[in-house]
Amino acid sequence: MKIRGERDDLADIFSRANRAVAARSALPVLQGLLCEASGGVLTVTGTDLEVTVTTSGPVEVMEEGRAVVPGRLLAESVRKMPPGVVTMSVGGGDAEIQGKGPRFTLRTLTLDDFPNLDMSPVDGVEVDGEELVNGLNQVVVASSSDSARPILTGVLFEPSDEGLRLVATDSYRLSVRDLPGMGSIGSGLVPARGLRELARTIGGPKVQAGMASREAVFSSDRGSLRLRLIEGSFPKYRSLLPESYPAQVLMEKEALLEALGRVTLVAEDHIPVRLKIGNGGVEVNVTRQDVGGEVEHLDAEFVGPEEILIAFNPRYLSDGVSVIAGDKVRIRMIDSLKASVLDDGGDGGFLYLLMPVRI
Amino acid sequence: MSFAEKILHADMDAFFVEVERRRQASLRGRPVVVGGAGRRGVVAAASYEARAYGIHSAMPMSRARSACPHLVIVPPDHDHYSDVSAEVFAIFSSFTPQVEGLSLDEAFLDISGLRRHYSDPAEVGRTLRKKIRHELDLPVSVGIAANKLVAKLASEAAKPDGLRHVPASETLSFLHPLPVRAISGVGEATHAALEALGVTTVGELAEIDPELLGWRLGRAAGTHLAALARGQDERAVVSDRQTKSVSVSETYEFDLRTPAQIDTELLRLCDRLGARLRRADLGGHTIAVTVRYSNFETVVRQTTRRSVVTSSHDLFAAARELRSQFDWSRPVRLLGIAVRALSEAGDSGQMRTDSDPRWEVVSRAITNVRERFGEDSVGPARVVMRKDI
Repeated sequence: MKIRGERDDLADIFSRANRAVAARSALPVLQGLLCEASGGVLTVTGTDLEVTVTTSGPVEVMEEGRAVVPGRLLAESVRKMPPGVVTMSVGGGDAEIQGKGPRFTLRTLTLDDFPNLDMSPVDGVEVDGEELVNGLNQVVVASSSDSARPILTGVLFEPSDEGLRLVATDSYRLSVRDLPGMGSIGSGLVPARGLRELARTIGGPKVQAGMASREAVFSSDRGSLRLRLIEGSFPKYRSLLPESYPAQVLMEKEALLEALGRVTLVAEDHIPVRLKIGNGGVEVNVTRQDVGGEVEHLDAEFVGPEEILIAFNPRYLSDGVSVIAGDKVRIRMIDSLKASVLDDGGDGGFLYLLMPVRI
Repeated sequence: MSFAEKILHADMDAFFVEVERRRQASLRGRPVVVGGAGRRGVVAAASYEARAYGIHSAMPMSRARSACPHLVIVPPDHDHYSDVSAEVFAIFSSFTPQVEGLSLDEAFLDISGLRRHYSDPAEVGRTLRKKIRHELDLPVSVGIAANKLVAKLASEAAKPDGLRHVPASETLSFLHPLPVRAISGVGEATHAALEALGVTTVGELAEIDPELLGWRLGRAAGTHLAALARGQDERAVVSDRQTKSVSVSETYEFDLRTPAQIDTELLRLCDRLGARLRRADLGGHTIAVTVRYSNFETVVRQTTRRSVVTSSHDLFAAARELRSQFDWSRPVRLLGIAVRALSEAGDSGQMRTDSDPRWEVVSRAITNVRERFGEDSVGPARVVMRKDI
């Protein structure tokens, strides 16, 4: 196989596909990118068997063929070439990457070892790519990275009256986003790790999205992202959402985020931030026995029968605040031991439920 | 009854061989060694049948083979032995946290803390031996004495598969007829020096003037040996670890076969473990379930939580979550549940969406009722009802 293309085009095709390649893998061949050149198009696939990214673009194909080349090295060596034309030719167990001057020789991996992936197209619906990515970004923060509980590492796609509902929880917080008009994408539990890559791999103004029996498939004119669905049943989250809240407070989002930024200077992950919420506003307070503390006051509109003292993990709190879309944050509360719910104060179609820390 | 003998020395008999025999019943009753079969292989462990031919550990395999032509040689599987060793030590630790491991198959236990639970020290030894036989199907020899030196010699005298309790008052009469070689620290050189002094038994060693001994062997060694010969050994049991986990387990008289049985037993174990955690005011982040199948194959699966788990209810929730990772179609001999990564309960008050803080209140209430009215006064319905059926 032999191809030629602009450095920037090739670097883009390789590095986006390489985002699916895991830093370490039990199967050596999964460190590689499957490169296929035919009919004037280069198609590149990277996979860790859970997340599969395929990218493609027009190149000059001088000799058709297929090869598996170490992914990180390939993407980085092309990226570091001088601007201009780059040639890649494969033969005799080596891939030669030639730029204006530099030339890399990379040992290829065994083509036959590369897994046979199901790449059959899936009936998807065309949706606004930016809206989908924004919605996903709001929920993935609440997903877990604990592989011992795989169900919590996914985002639930669930058609609802509002359209498509996205839900994630790590059992300390729960994020819910409704995307109007996207309900026909279908339902499934999709790995959050792969969804985080959507924007950077194939994101664009228009995205086709759909569910196959075992996979969620997203595609655009830049390529496709296939995510193996997680098996198992997602926690029954509806009963967690309180029906009414006796107290609520509304404040500036930026002001709260900045305050939490100062809090985390003192508080490490496990030190809770205390909020004293009342008619005078919000007093933010953190103390750490062996280090010191920080305290500050934020203006806020409070409605409720009495002052509430409630504590949260500061990182979980700022995760939630930072993905709220508007300028305001509303926190609705029952008491200091029950879940609080954060949103933008209007009906932004998003809420972030957070369990407090007992103090 | 006093517990004048507070040191227990447990030594697994032909450990590697017996572990292999558990897997291959055909090895029972035959001369078996574990070790490399190659040209330079040596014997790592020999069964008592093999020892009858003069075969002992560290002997070159070629010599062992010529001593006993029908010797069965099993290649060693050290990963497996250390897994089984961990199970043996878990049993040691279920008696007392004061366990000092000497090797994979040997440990000192300080049993002085058990005086309220056992009528006499020998009773501890009998229970330990029974438990290891019942739960692991392995033989162990146990020596119990006033100090480490005598306890170790006592377990040696108890072998194979026996128990020897040397009352403190009989320390010297037990010790003195033994050859000096029996005392640890007496190697070739010391032995030769002692022989030159006409000393062959521990009793004779005790008679020798410590001055003379010091002059011949060096002051430190001389004083040390003289003290040992008089049965004096003040070395304490140094346990290698602080409490890292709390666990409960049960070996069932009849193998468990149905999911309902297993569920009920898991709940009962969680209830017991929860009670122990509350008494110690401990909680942990990691919950591990152990299943031993009827063929002694043991599988452990664990899950880790960010928040500290303390209540029986949350333990059970975690245990149930792990259930799907076991094969329940096979008969189950033992179930166990452990909490690891311990911390003081409540240091992280992060609450969860999937656990109700009211369960902790329930747990505390149950603990209080039990303290007042006894262990059987209250419990989960499934567990309590089982007793009446």
